[in-house]
Amino acid sequence: MAKSNPLKAEEHVNVCEEQVYKRVFNETSKTIFNYIYYKFGNEEKANDAVQEAFVKLWENCAKVPPAKAKSYLYTVANNLYLNVLKAEKVRLKYADSTLKTTNESPEFIMEENQFKEKLDNALNSLPENQRTTFLLSRIDGKKYAEIAEIENVSVKAIEKRMHLALKSLREQIDGI
Amino acid sequence: MQDNYLAKWLNDELTEAELVEFKKSEAFETYQKIKESTSQLESPEFDMDKAWETIDQYKTKDETKVLILSPFKTFLRIAAVIAVLLAGSFFYLRTLNESYTTAYAENKAITLPDSSEVILNAESELAFSEKKWNENRNVNLKGEAYFKVAKGKKFTVATSQGLVTVLGTQFNIETREDYFEVTCFEGLVSVIINDKETKLPAGNSLVTINGNSTMSKAIVNSAPSWLSKESSFESVPLHYVMDELQRQYDIEVTTKEIDTDELFTGTFSNDNLELALKSISVPLQIKFNLEGNKVLFYAEKAPK
Repeated sequence: MAKSNPLKAEEHVNVCEEQVYKRVFNETSKTIFNYIYYKFGNEEKANDAVQEAFVKLWENCAKVPPAKAKSYLYTVANNLYLNVLKAEKVRLKYADSTLKTTNESPEFIMEENQFKEKLDNALNSLPENQRTTFLLSRIDGKKYAEIAEIENVSVKAIEKRMHLALKSLREQIDGI
Repeated sequence: MQDNYLAKWLNDELTEAELVEFKKSEAFETYQKIKESTSQLESPEFDMDKAWETIDQYKTKDETKVLILSPFKTFLRIAAVIAVLLAGSFFYLRTLNESYTTAYAENKAITLPDSSEVILNAESELAFSEKKWNENRNVNLKGEAYFKVAKGKKFTVATSQGLVTVLGTQFNIETREDYFEVTCFEGLVSVIINDKETKLPAGNSLVTINGNSTMSKAIVNSAPSWLSKESSFESVPLHYVMDELQRQYDIEVTTKEIDTDELFTGTFSNDNLELALKSISVPLQIKFNLEGNKVLFYAEKAPK
């Protein structure tokens, strides 16, 4: 896990230093935003969580070692809405769906759209921790080890979540 | 099949045999579709710059707050001491020297303690000691000024290029780099350059360029022309004329293929730039091009 953390090698530096702080921001802010969004489906709250996490990190920059900065940020962001916020519908866009389907038959497009709708519903009915893990992996391309660090659980637990998420997605879509 | 094989499959971690078996299962087609579809998904847009701006603002606000809460830090003590010293020396120096300066395109009238009058031309500086005024009437001058001195003790103007001493008269002094001109309008003026004294009677002017002095019968007027918003020159190298033009209009003057040592005799207006430019260019048969606050003088035949 330590290997995946680029700040590890500079443990002598301090997060209070502008450069270090800015780099942590550049590397982490988007993922924090997505992480909270996948959980609760609320963009505004996700933006707020990024703010809150980085303000807290700045206030405690002397106490948080650079190597721990990222997990500190995820913990703050996650705790912010713990047991407070009710999850809303997560809305995701498809990158290049229109381009891909222009040459296809109308039946195919209809089927495709039906599938997407089913997938959308299935994703939203997943338990929040499965959905978050699954989307961090599929959309953000995070490795299981990285997600484990974010969620503060073992890699095995993340694999389990991925397995269960995929399984229930398929069951919902195939109507089993 | 191993534990969590679906997670392993997404990660391409299944063995050959497992993969073959998995592909045979009836659920595989849907799994494959889910895998493809979800790889095209995108999260909502996140404005990183905007988020950083807000956090950065908070940080700076936070820093100033910390300073206010701890007011007696060492550096603040030092700052306080420096402030007291600065204020003290400022008031001390004020009693020593009164000083007046003018910027480009600015004139200033000053009344000295004995009600002598000084009018400063553009980009000039005048300083004198108010406290010691009764002992000796000394002023320091940089640039150009017209003096109307009240009768009384010796009145001395010190410049970087020479001393000018009078008893009570009207005169004009101009010092610009290596150009030094004194014109006497009334009475008698004594000019001392490098320990050499020259007496200058009314209606005469002494011009020193690069250390060479020439005295000439000058203006018949009773005051220098710049007081009536004109700049006059008599056999003065062109570059001094250009310099004066810059000072009077706060513009940037450049020349192209023009001999700026050529002597110029004439007058230009100090409040009509177009006219002033013509007054210089027409007699010399050169052209000018005015753009914003930049003027280029160029020879008639020279390419622009």
